[in-house]
Amino acid sequence: MTSEHDHVVSLRSEEATIPPGHSWNRIPVIGSACALLGVVGCAILGPANPKQFFFSWLMSYLFFLSLALGGLFFTLFMYACQGGWGIVVRRVCETVFATIPVMATLFVPVLFGLHYLYPWSVPGAAEQDALLRWKAPFLNVPFFLIRAAIYYICWSFIALFYYRLSRGQDSTGDFAVSARLRKFAGPCIIVLALTSTFAAIDWIVSLTPHWYSTMFGVYFFAGSFIGFIALLSVVVPAMRGAGLLDTVISAEHLHDLGKFLFAFTAFWAYIGFSQFFLIWYANLPEESFWFKARLEGSWEIVSLLLMAGHFGIPFFYLMGRAVKRRGWTLAIGGTWLLVMHFVDIYWQVMPTLHPEGVRPSVLDIATFLAVGGCFVAAAGWLMRRQALVPLRDPRLAESLMFENA
Amino acid sequence: MAQTEAELLDNPVEGNPTLILRSPDFHAITEVVAETVERPTPIGWWIFFIPSVILLGLLGVAVSWLFWEGIGIWGLNIPVGWAWDITNFVFWVGIGHAGTLISAILFLFRQKWRTSINRSAEAMTIFAVMCAMLFPGIHVGRVWVIYWVFPVPNQMGVWPNFRSPLLWDVFAVSVYGTVSVLFWYVGLIPDLATMRDRAKTRVRQAVYGFFALGWRGSVRNWNHYESAYLVLAALATPLVLSVHSVVSMDFAVSLLPGWHTTIFPPYFVAGAIFSGFAMVVTLMVICRTAFRLEHIITLRHFDYMAKIMLVTGSMVGYAYATEFFTSWYSGNPYEFFTFMNRALGPYAWAYWIMITCNVISPQVFWFKKARTNIPYLFVASIIVNIGMWFERFVIIVTSLHRDFLPSAWGYFSPTIWDISCLLGSFGLFFTMFCLFVRFLPMVATSEVKTVLPQANPHAGEGAERQVGDYRRATVPTHRKPAPGSAY
Amino acid sequence: MRIPLLNELPQGPYYGVLAEFATPADLLHACARVRDEGFTRWDAHTPFPVHGIDGAMGLRRSPLPWIVLVAGLTGAAGGFGLQWWVHASAYPLVISGKPYLSWPAFIPITFELGVLFAAFGAVIGMLALNRLPMHNHPLFHSRVFERVTDDAFFISIESWDPRFDPSATEKLLESLGARSVELLES
Repeated sequence: MTSEHDHVVSLRSEEATIPPGHSWNRIPVIGSACALLGVVGCAILGPANPKQFFFSWLMSYLFFLSLALGGLFFTLFMYACQGGWGIVVRRVCETVFATIPVMATLFVPVLFGLHYLYPWSVPGAAEQDALLRWKAPFLNVPFFLIRAAIYYICWSFIALFYYRLSRGQDSTGDFAVSARLRKFAGPCIIVLALTSTFAAIDWIVSLTPHWYSTMFGVYFFAGSFIGFIALLSVVVPAMRGAGLLDTVISAEHLHDLGKFLFAFTAFWAYIGFSQFFLIWYANLPEESFWFKARLEGSWEIVSLLLMAGHFGIPFFYLMGRAVKRRGWTLAIGGTWLLVMHFVDIYWQVMPTLHPEGVRPSVLDIATFLAVGGCFVAAAGWLMRRQALVPLRDPRLAESLMFENA
Repeated sequence: MAQTEAELLDNPVEGNPTLILRSPDFHAITEVVAETVERPTPIGWWIFFIPSVILLGLLGVAVSWLFWEGIGIWGLNIPVGWAWDITNFVFWVGIGHAGTLISAILFLFRQKWRTSINRSAEAMTIFAVMCAMLFPGIHVGRVWVIYWVFPVPNQMGVWPNFRSPLLWDVFAVSVYGTVSVLFWYVGLIPDLATMRDRAKTRVRQAVYGFFALGWRGSVRNWNHYESAYLVLAALATPLVLSVHSVVSMDFAVSLLPGWHTTIFPPYFVAGAIFSGFAMVVTLMVICRTAFRLEHIITLRHFDYMAKIMLVTGSMVGYAYATEFFTSWYSGNPYEFFTFMNRALGPYAWAYWIMITCNVISPQVFWFKKARTNIPYLFVASIIVNIGMWFERFVIIVTSLHRDFLPSAWGYFSPTIWDISCLLGSFGLFFTMFCLFVRFLPMVATSEVKTVLPQANPHAGEGAERQVGDYRRATVPTHRKPAPGSAY
Repeated sequence: MRIPLLNELPQGPYYGVLAEFATPADLLHACARVRDEGFTRWDAHTPFPVHGIDGAMGLRRSPLPWIVLVAGLTGAAGGFGLQWWVHASAYPLVISGKPYLSWPAFIPITFELGVLFAAFGAVIGMLALNRLPMHNHPLFHSRVFERVTDDAFFISIESWDPRFDPSATEKLLESLGARSVELLES
């Protein structure tokens, strides 16, 4: 066969790191500043309206966590499928999901707000409600905490395992690392799928403890995945625009990112619509109340916005070939879908707090800044201390020369 | 041979794995594939064909008797109004999905290994869809008014109920059958031209030539052709997802516990791909040996197929787990009872066959030894299909036989005519497949040629892009696509 | 660039020149030269699509996706329209308590019909753009051309081309590394 794989293409590490003095070195500082601003805002406004604070925090938190989990899924898929094109962007993905341990600490405020968020956690709630009594073996605070710990242990373990081994390969170029990471990708995906499903049930579905949907784990996955691809579609062109990796990532890679974005826009719509459609069609009150709450008053507008904005517009926007191959057009698509993913999470969480209609609050912004600032700071800090591309991945050459047929 | 083949697998560095063994040239590929059609009918073909035709005859008898005497000859009763008929329908539609996945979805993912099996898989899809369409057609009772499902203006001014999933089925499966035939035919055109140009008799030349539409390999034609192929692949992908989702909605839009659950659409699609790949494995194991195509349909192909089976089997297992958990979590006593009844009630035997075949048996595919062991693969693929048939049976019958009102509980047992229809459908399927294999090239020769190393016009140039020298110049940043390059 | 209709084949004594090449790489380089020489009425023939040959020939991307898009939207609109008309106008019935214009329930069929029409658009569009079926073509008179669907690669330059000259064009193709060159009668 070709002699490509007799040599390991080595990029000089100066070509693949953020040069000193580059503006992107300041990302951790900017992130921290936002976080500080957000925390101050929460500290000032939170005590007056604790319920709003905890809901806003949960929502912002889920948004950024879903991006990290999406990144982990994406990387594991790439390993499992032995996809060659994505290796140049893999380090960016790893940076995003390596923030999971940080996200674990950001979960702590949620624990303080359990009684505000989850009706089932209020002592004495089960006495009045037969369904809560039935679900009590699962929906109780100790088990909830144990499960949360399990999720974070699993996620952090997988994330750090993949992050560390991949970074280690930068210096050793060891083929065996790739084989090992690929071998474990399958089981890790299964663990990730199950933990994220139950996390979604614990943290989102049990906000309305009477409701249930077998599809919800898949729905959460779909949203996380597309949120992450959207994030990549923004970060990668931004990096190129900032002069980082602009000789490494070509229009071909952007095209593939765009194709993923397009495909998962449709996938998200398929999953979301299936869930809605089946509940709408059967019209059973025990399930349909959840959607009914989201189709009344100003929430109806948000629902319509989701349909048109999370599916309709991006679908036609991303159809064309040229859009996917240009950095700024792809980034516009990515930004839009990131916003839509946020709207999606907002639409899932907030109607429980504000059934009467959409009630934006300054705390939404404050918590977004607080959680997001930490997330960005952590990711930025990680980016600064490593190569932006897996320097000595055995298949890097293939990825660099990748061409859409 | 198997030793070195297996060693070639799973090399983490191998970006461009050797897909076709023994380094044939283009002509050798043409020869070995065309030979399957051109040589005199081997005895082995008759050994498969005769029993298939007999079973097809059995189907004819069973269906005729069904039309004459009525649905009562089946074991259907109250409360079990659907049993083997719809189980068989979903079973066959599911099998068809693998063909489209191989043709369309793997094409979109640039998986070159699909070229060895896509022609047979697409043919399998068409025949599976034929078998599938049979069952809803014959189970209606008054077959002579089956045309009422189509929106045709009539003297009563009545129209079909477009809000019913049964009608979505009609449209979905018809469209699926049509698009599958179109996709398969478009792929066949260049190969039919090959057969035409090699034909030794006037009759063959005329027939192949007619259907080859005068194809002459013109690059200007290939340009539009490639575009059409890509578009069809891009259309077939959501189509295949939608078809089995629509089939799942036959159940999911109802109110029955065990049927009404939101995860059904993707769960059914994953299950369909699972069983479909199992059928492809079964067919390919037989065909590659019978036609000496082991160097084109290699262990690597089976490795990949087994991996896909592992993935989709795991998705099915995930769905089982989610459903089971939610049946408890929902607090709906009927829902919970249905799942308990599945595992412990009168149909527990079917449930545990399903679990063993679908969840436990594919787990061996984690191990490469199992994925590349042909006898094991053959047996495993049949086990998976048995399991998937039982899955549909369990879903349909357990939810029907014990629903809300205990006084309406019952039990279903198949009659000889249920069994005849199922066996007969296999007869139809294998008869069509035998005919396909006999008269049409079962490997997409023009596509396989594109994955040979000689097909790459830049084959010799790769060596320049090497260590440290990969060069900015050869990895352009904002590279404009070459004018006219297809996608 | 117009492809001649069936009845618009070259009028002179020759159809054109047919040159055979051994490998895809040879063909690719030859095509680039022929394109650069300024020929317009010519074509290459291969048993399978060769990567990069569209660029070497200077071909533009196929307009087929647009045809498919229009066809698909027509089908989808037609499907939705049909259901709307039937359920909200022609014979409205209250079914399972849903409104007459229960659009979520109309989506499956709308989607399916969109895909059906798009698929037909793709196939018929492709055949139309390729002027197929064209069972009779002068190239089929050449004996070596039989191998075009097997393992041989060809360039054909029609005599229609303004730069065509029987002997000069033949010599050009020979110089590009053709395995054999043939002048075809009309």
